[in-house]
Amino acid sequence: MSNVLTKQKLTKRVVICLAILAAVMCLCCLIGTQKISLEKVFAGPGKTAGENVDYEILVSVRLPRVVLAALVGAALACSGVVLQAILRNPLADPYILGISSGAGLGVIIAIISGVSWTFWGGSPIAIAAFAGAIITVWLVWYIGHLTGKSQVTNLLLAGVVVNAFFAAVIMFLTSIAKSEQVYSTIFWLMGNITEKNPPVLWVSAICILAGIISLFSVCYRLNALSFGEQEAQGLGIDINKTKILAFGWAAFITAVAVSLSGLIGFVGLIIPHAVRLVLGPDHRQLLPVSAIFGSIFLVAADTLARIIVSPAQLPVGIITAIAGGPFFLVLLAGYSRKVSWLR
Amino acid sequence: MNKFQRQLLIMLCFAVAVVITFSRLQSQSRNIKPQSGQPNRIVSLSPNLTEILFELGLDEKIIAVSDDSDYPPQAAKKNKVGTFWQPNTEAIIACRPDLVVAESFEQQKAVTESLKKLGYEVLSLKIEKIEELFTAIEKIGNATGRRQQADELIKNIKAQLDSLRSKLGSSDKVKVLWVIQAEPLRAAGRSTFINELIELAGGENVISDTIQQYPPISTEELLASGVEVIIQSAMGKGRIENEQKAAEAFWSKWGNLPAVKNRRIYVIEPDTILRLGPRLPQGAEIIARCIAANQVNQ
Repeated sequence: MSNVLTKQKLTKRVVICLAILAAVMCLCCLIGTQKISLEKVFAGPGKTAGENVDYEILVSVRLPRVVLAALVGAALACSGVVLQAILRNPLADPYILGISSGAGLGVIIAIISGVSWTFWGGSPIAIAAFAGAIITVWLVWYIGHLTGKSQVTNLLLAGVVVNAFFAAVIMFLTSIAKSEQVYSTIFWLMGNITEKNPPVLWVSAICILAGIISLFSVCYRLNALSFGEQEAQGLGIDINKTKILAFGWAAFITAVAVSLSGLIGFVGLIIPHAVRLVLGPDHRQLLPVSAIFGSIFLVAADTLARIIVSPAQLPVGIITAIAGGPFFLVLLAGYSRKVSWLR
Repeated sequence: MNKFQRQLLIMLCFAVAVVITFSRLQSQSRNIKPQSGQPNRIVSLSPNLTEILFELGLDEKIIAVSDDSDYPPQAAKKNKVGTFWQPNTEAIIACRPDLVVAESFEQQKAVTESLKKLGYEVLSLKIEKIEELFTAIEKIGNATGRRQQADELIKNIKAQLDSLRSKLGSSDKVKVLWVIQAEPLRAAGRSTFINELIELAGGENVISDTIQQYPPISTEELLASGVEVIIQSAMGKGRIENEQKAAEAFWSKWGNLPAVKNRRIYVIEPDTILRLGPRLPQGAEIIARCIAANQVNQ
């Protein structure tokens, strides 16, 4: 077979994708509401605020935002790949096991209670979202396991029910909240990328990259797992350990992503499928390439969100769905005759 | 699981170390702009703050306003820096402001926090009640060196409200329902600014205390309320008369309600009234005309 995935081939493809990502990020840094000149940017920051506006806009507003979009996109796409593999369900996305509603509940509680402390630049909303997401995932995992060790269906059902329950609590809380609080919550639920402080970005970058690297190390086992649990066991793979590892890291990076940017839909669902359609289902390739294309997609979508109605802005979640949906359908129609979901 | 936990622990320690280092670096790296007393380049992020700034005679010094700042007419001609709900940090910085006046709810706080980090002067204000409007005007006056004008403006607004109150006297309270949305029916509850406005204009909200700000109202509750005046905020930008007709048609199915029987249904243009700004007395007077028409006109 000529299309066996060799190490050289994989490295080459990943490097090409990284180059595309770098190019897109640079380009998107240069596009925005305001025109800025690179020459002035290189003059460095002034001594006081407002002295070199071009530098401030590029370095303190656009760059953090582009980096954040890249991180969130990578995390969501990666987590989508992993959850589709361990749940063996093509409809799985990073939010399927209740992370979205758990994080949403955390956020609305934080907004309504009006806490205003900050934790080293992390806003209370981000921390509440993270805590809500992690607690919910643990709850779903626990309930799913009470009902039987290796039952994927139970896990899915637990996720769906917890999601529905928390969504109801969120609706109740929005009905008693003040109008500004409701708006704040809705914007958060639509997914929104804004500027973050460098420390917050650094920590998230470390967490998300660590997660992606750890997930990459179980890719081979994910390949075996997608044939079925018994087959994987036959190949001498510790299914439970693999699942916990993959599930834990996927949940962790999703929680980090959600706490940074709210609920950005679609990236975690369509990017893995799109990459799978074009390049095939081998997870050793699917995972890194999906991560990179998740970044590219979200960086581009966020740039559109910044400029399309400028100086106003759109929540990026709207762009990902409007631009991503049709794009994916075209891809699906074009490729589905050649490749099936698991080949 | 053990391996996972160990990895996680190492990662967390590392992350904490990085955060500490960087937050130290951050706090040292940038000098905050020295305050020069009187800002000359002001940016306003909300329509009512824009109105206050104009009232204080700062027209020349306002560089940019939020997209929805449409009053006074000069405001509409200023540069725009994004909507009330989503201000554009980039556009604000490009204005090189030396004072950004903003509200303090979540969306604006996110923007003002990052502006503060960059060393810009920000004034965050909470305006949800009438009392908070006066505090806000005072703070803006202090920050812009227009202390005297601010005091006068406050005195002026208070005087107008007082004269309205004295006209209304202490006659019986009229039962008012302020409709936010007709289908499904929702009204302004007790903990809103609208409630303050109703009471100011000599009315009484028929909705008793609710946990919601804008509670949904059942038909049963509506019919039992004996509401005497219905006020409905106009939704679209279309003609008020059309909305008035539509509202009268909608309410005609409950012909036994005193408000419907006496044809006391009013559709009002919400922009003047629902903005907690210097035009508050005018808004209150419009409401008072709806609620106690004969007393105000005397």
